[in-house]
Amino acid sequence: MNARLLATLAAGLLSVAPALAHDGAPHRPELAIGRSAAFDYDPPAPGSYRLAAIKAAADAEVLDHRGRRVSLGGLLAGKVTVMAFIYTRCADVCPLATVLLHEIRGITALDATLSGAVQLVTLSFDPENDTPEVMAMQAAGLEHLGEGAPWHFLTTDGLRALRPILDAYGQPLARNGGEYAHELRVFLVDPARRIRNIYSVGFLDPRMVVTDVRTLLGESARQAAVR
Amino acid sequence: MTDRTTATRDRFRYGAAAVALVAAAGVGAAGARADETCQSPYMAKITGQEEYVYVLTLGVEGLGDGSDKLVTVDARPDSKTYGQVIDVDSVGGRHETHHGGLTDDRRHLWMAGLDTSRIFIFDIATDPANPRMVKTIDDFVEKSGGVVGPHGAYALPGRMLVSGLSNAEDKTGRTALVEYTNDGEYIATHWMPTAETAKGIPGAEFADGYGYDARVLPRKNVMLSSSFTGWSNYMRAFGDLAQDGEAMKRFGQSMVLWDLHARQPKKVFHVPGAPLEVRWAWGEDNDYAFTAAALTSKIWLVHEDEAGEWQATEVGTVGDPANPPIPVDISISADDKTLFVDSFMDGTVRVFDVSDPKAPQQIYEKRIGKQVNMVSQSWDGQRVYFTSSLLANWDKKGEDEDQFLKAYDWDGKELKERFAIDFKAEGLGRPHLMRFGARSLYAG
Repeated sequence: MNARLLATLAAGLLSVAPALAHDGAPHRPELAIGRSAAFDYDPPAPGSYRLAAIKAAADAEVLDHRGRRVSLGGLLAGKVTVMAFIYTRCADVCPLATVLLHEIRGITALDATLSGAVQLVTLSFDPENDTPEVMAMQAAGLEHLGEGAPWHFLTTDGLRALRPILDAYGQPLARNGGEYAHELRVFLVDPARRIRNIYSVGFLDPRMVVTDVRTLLGESARQAAVR
Repeated sequence: MTDRTTATRDRFRYGAAAVALVAAAGVGAAGARADETCQSPYMAKITGQEEYVYVLTLGVEGLGDGSDKLVTVDARPDSKTYGQVIDVDSVGGRHETHHGGLTDDRRHLWMAGLDTSRIFIFDIATDPANPRMVKTIDDFVEKSGGVVGPHGAYALPGRMLVSGLSNAEDKTGRTALVEYTNDGEYIATHWMPTAETAKGIPGAEFADGYGYDARVLPRKNVMLSSSFTGWSNYMRAFGDLAQDGEAMKRFGQSMVLWDLHARQPKKVFHVPGAPLEVRWAWGEDNDYAFTAAALTSKIWLVHEDEAGEWQATEVGTVGDPANPPIPVDISISADDKTLFVDSFMDGTVRVFDVSDPKAPQQIYEKRIGKQVNMVSQSWDGQRVYFTSSLLANWDKKGEDEDQFLKAYDWDGKELKERFAIDFKAEGLGRPHLMRFGARSLYAG
């Protein structure tokens, strides 16, 4: 999946985004997407359920798309984050994660309560190929397509830096030549840097992920009120 | 009620790329790959013939080392050791490690001890021919808040859902579902609903709090759980238990439909006679699951009706209910057309045509042994494996106690035996749950 094709696909998504603002419920624009054969249900109300803390979202040193060294933990702290592990040459399931993040970003553009409190992270597990320059191309291919929450495109400076991240997040992969066998995992991380949900193929429903985001933001609001 | 046309159009408008990518990647349909048919729909898949059969085996005092163990059988037809035990890993002691399951990445196999509530985690990825125990969970009861008898371990994304059978307070069947991370760290406990806690949801009066199996249908955001009995019954000698009228009342009579995402019960069904294994159909439009009620010898269908309501309906009978053969395990084929039903008492498998899920028709039966319990089939449906043990204290005695793994070919009409392993003669024990392994899963 090259960046241009992905951008073309993403452009198709954004072209309908303005319609959502008119058709959708004002407070939950994600519901305008409606049911589909793949996600044939109505999401629950935000805050009507609890997302248990699964584990701590580990800290690690990563590189941003300009090649600057960044603390992943520092980046995650204080915001609700939807984070996907991918590699850019992936022709299998990674593009599903990228499209999901793009859909979520489109929704955040329609809701000011989301756009300032949420961020998206794409982290490559293929540092040999996915240099900061390659991640910058990914970012450029997607970011200019519309407004929305910040989207960080990260990589590492090698396998030595990457391995502890994969182990900590539970993202196994096996390499065979240029390809990777891996489970697609997208993580929801709360402002206190705890993993609160994990999505894989079959669960990449932007309505449900945004509902989870709203559930976490509701928690934060209640905690702030108590303080 | 869902308006599929409108819903699909809306989804396509906004998510055209996602839909196209799902289709292109071939990840939307499970049928493209080969695998056994009772796993999580999103689990990593075997792309060819299963190479190994992992058999959870109860230790028997005086037989071999007497310990519960994971037995690895070579299922590669071209191997010199085809049909033979190639690895044995004892966990140390007897725990009634009856059930368990694979993580979603298939790197680990969990063996759960119904008696001691200990869970043993094996690495099957580093060397699939030689599993290695890497972790033991010793504090399941304490961490879960009093759940006893971990049974199935079912893969959710990045997590394991362990269904309990009992509780520490009264050792009845009141129990919970317990979530763990894939690396064996406790996350949360979800108690099965009772008539009291389920107030306000349909069927609350049937909620007995009991548990057994729990499986999910993500596209409908639902989970379905079944119910069995507690530690005080399943650890008791069956002949003794059967004479105790009060104890025999303490069996599950319910199934619960849950909101999967919220982990909250939505509806409770009255399904008498201990409904055990849950098997969702695989077809993308087949919104239904089967179960078999052990004590009443009935097949039940849980399905979404045309009005979008979930219903449980008795749709078939296994053998003669007047002399119940006790159906214990079921296996649905990947094309949703065939259901294998094992019954313990007569050691028989019955095969049903379930093309019309509301009217199963028996098309074949075969006696596998003096007793039979679990049945697992390959994704292509051409190979079927059986094991013999129910529970240590419920298995038959003396000459009637067969203990085996038997492998068959299935051509749609009859079973032809490929190999058999005598678990008594080999000094192994009582074989129960089977899971498949293959090196191709980890090769990239």
